[in-house]
Amino acid sequence: MAALLEVEHINAGYGFLQVLWDVSLKVEEGEFVCLLGANGAGKTTTLRTIAGFLKPTAGDIRFEGKSIAKTPAYQISQMGISFVSESLNLFTNMSVRENLLLGAYRVLDKKKQLEALDFVFSLFPRLKERERQLAGTMSGGERKMLAIARGMMSMPKLLLVDEPSLGLAPQVVVAVFEALQTLRKEGVTILLVEQNVPSTLRITDRGYVMEYGKIVLEGPSKELMNNEHVRVAYMGI
Amino acid sequence: MEATRVQPSFGERLMLNLRSRPAAWIMIAMTLGFLVIIGIFAGPSQLVNTIVTGGMWALMAVGLALVFGVMNIPHFAHGDSFMIGAYVAYFVFTPIQASLRDNPNPVLSAVGPLIAWAAAALVGFVVGAIMEKLVFYPLRQRTRKGWVMNTFLLTVGISFVLVYGTNLILGPNFRGVPNYWNMPPIVIGSVRLTMERIAAFVVAIVAIVAFWIFLSSTRTGRAIRAVAQDEMGAEMVGINLNFIYTLTFALATAMAALAGASLLFMFPAYPTVGLKPLYFAWYVVMLVGLGNVQGAIVGGFIVAVLQTLTQQFFGVSYEDVVPVVVMILVLLLVPNGIFGSEVKGIQEQ
Ligand SMILES: Nc1ncnc2c1ncn2[C@@H]1O[C@H](COP(=O)(O)OP(=O)(O)OP(=O)(O)O)[C@@H](O)[C@H]1O
Ligand SMILES: [Mg+2]
Repeated sequence: MAALLEVEHINAGYGFLQVLWDVSLKVEEGEFVCLLGANGAGKTTTLRTIAGFLKPTAGDIRFEGKSIAKTPAYQISQMGISFVSESLNLFTNMSVRENLLLGAYRVLDKKKQLEALDFVFSLFPRLKERERQLAGTMSGGERKMLAIARGMMSMPKLLLVDEPSLGLAPQVVVAVFEALQTLRKEGVTILLVEQNVPSTLRITDRGYVMEYGKIVLEGPSKELMNNEHVRVAYMGI
Repeated sequence: MEATRVQPSFGERLMLNLRSRPAAWIMIAMTLGFLVIIGIFAGPSQLVNTIVTGGMWALMAVGLALVFGVMNIPHFAHGDSFMIGAYVAYFVFTPIQASLRDNPNPVLSAVGPLIAWAAAALVGFVVGAIMEKLVFYPLRQRTRKGWVMNTFLLTVGISFVLVYGTNLILGPNFRGVPNYWNMPPIVIGSVRLTMERIAAFVVAIVAIVAFWIFLSSTRTGRAIRAVAQDEMGAEMVGINLNFIYTLTFALATAMAALAGASLLFMFPAYPTVGLKPLYFAWYVVMLVGLGNVQGAIVGGFIVAVLQTLTQQFFGVSYEDVVPVVVMILVLLLVPNGIFGSEVKGIQEQ
């Protein structure tokens, strides 16, 4: 059976600047996969291309066996891929609740919307307390949680998360990672981009390592954790 | 019941908005004060006039604010949507009126004008949708570079085409409907209220309130606000931007057309009838802050008051001068407008 997400030999970039070179990766249903790499390696570019905000100039991307390489971003979202970007892209002048309801924009059933709301509130009780606060006035950590929760509101088949730990205090990072682990236990398939290598490898099943726009290593997280290159380059050991 | 707690209401939001903005407070307090002064010195019928006009400027300005807030288009053909509405109402209503003369029918004579107005709004909606798909959609596909400047020039061009096209086909004559209803005015004390004025005011208020409810608590309305705040975020949750753009432009055009239709008794239809409403709608949005829809509603009434005061105390010929002077002062003192702007950064990538 084909994997949930298959990225096959894609090239992508910005205008004349090619960033991704022959990138291939796949995510099986129910898997928690991470994509690691240094600054500027092309991790964000990879996620943007999968989510449809950039179009690959070569290669193919398949989701549930269907090519989505040319599909507009909003349709990819409707097909069941939620993208939680680095910049979060929250609706800052709307309340937390409205942001969440917009996360369920493609869910037409009111009852399902409320269920999803209950689910993300159980995941992040903090958001429930701040239901009516404007998203723009939330703290950095709360905003990250809101973005992840908004991404979950449509009960996606695949969640793409870009550096959720960036700029957060260590305790908040722990909270965010715990939330991702809970999601994973709920059966959500996740592709996570992170720079926080040790903690990421501890919670994920499998990982890819990206350097200069190419995948240079892949394997089960446990193996990567003991890999000589990973230890030297990313864990400073 | 935490989970079903309601959203902050319009009033709450407005209050929140005002608390942090003394300029807005001062302007609203002054407006209310001036309304009283108008009532006392210029007479209650002027007061009624001011309120009717205020509702209409608000209706025009809401569309303008929306188009700027959601699409970043400085819409200088908005007055021509008013003009289209005026003509549609005229051409729909005149045959109804003629048929009523031959065989009177109380129901038709009561709802006839409303049919004409609904037709105007509908035509406005369709024209707006076509305009967006024909002009702005292709431009957006090609490039977002210099978007604001390009769309500004495009709307000015559209305006020229519409004005001179109308002139060519229909000629420069005035086409008016002095009375929509053949009813004696309602007299309350010294105030004479014609049915036209009451209806125009009611229509403006109903349209604005309906639109407000649509924006604040429906799925599609929320999506429109989402696009105004963060386009990429909107796409991320599955909103089709092109659909929202077309809908927004169509709604704005429909509201302007509705204004043109319901004011036909004050402004007869002719090719450049939209200029004045266009200017006044611009005064409003510059006063309150570009792209601020809530502010535009209040701003409509502020500008109407300024206008009446000017007519009363300086003469009609200064009608445009005073709002412009106030606008310049506001821009000098509070560059974002008295309500500040909720608009996302103007895209100039
Ligand atoms: N919008 C853009 N326009 C042009 N070049 C870009 C753009 N975004 C990223 N790049 C370039 O593409 C390359 C890869 O960037 P990308 O954001 O994918 O890296 P990343 O792995 O996510 O890095 P980080 O860990 O710092 O987020 C970088 O050299 C960057 O300068
Ligand atoms: Mg990145």
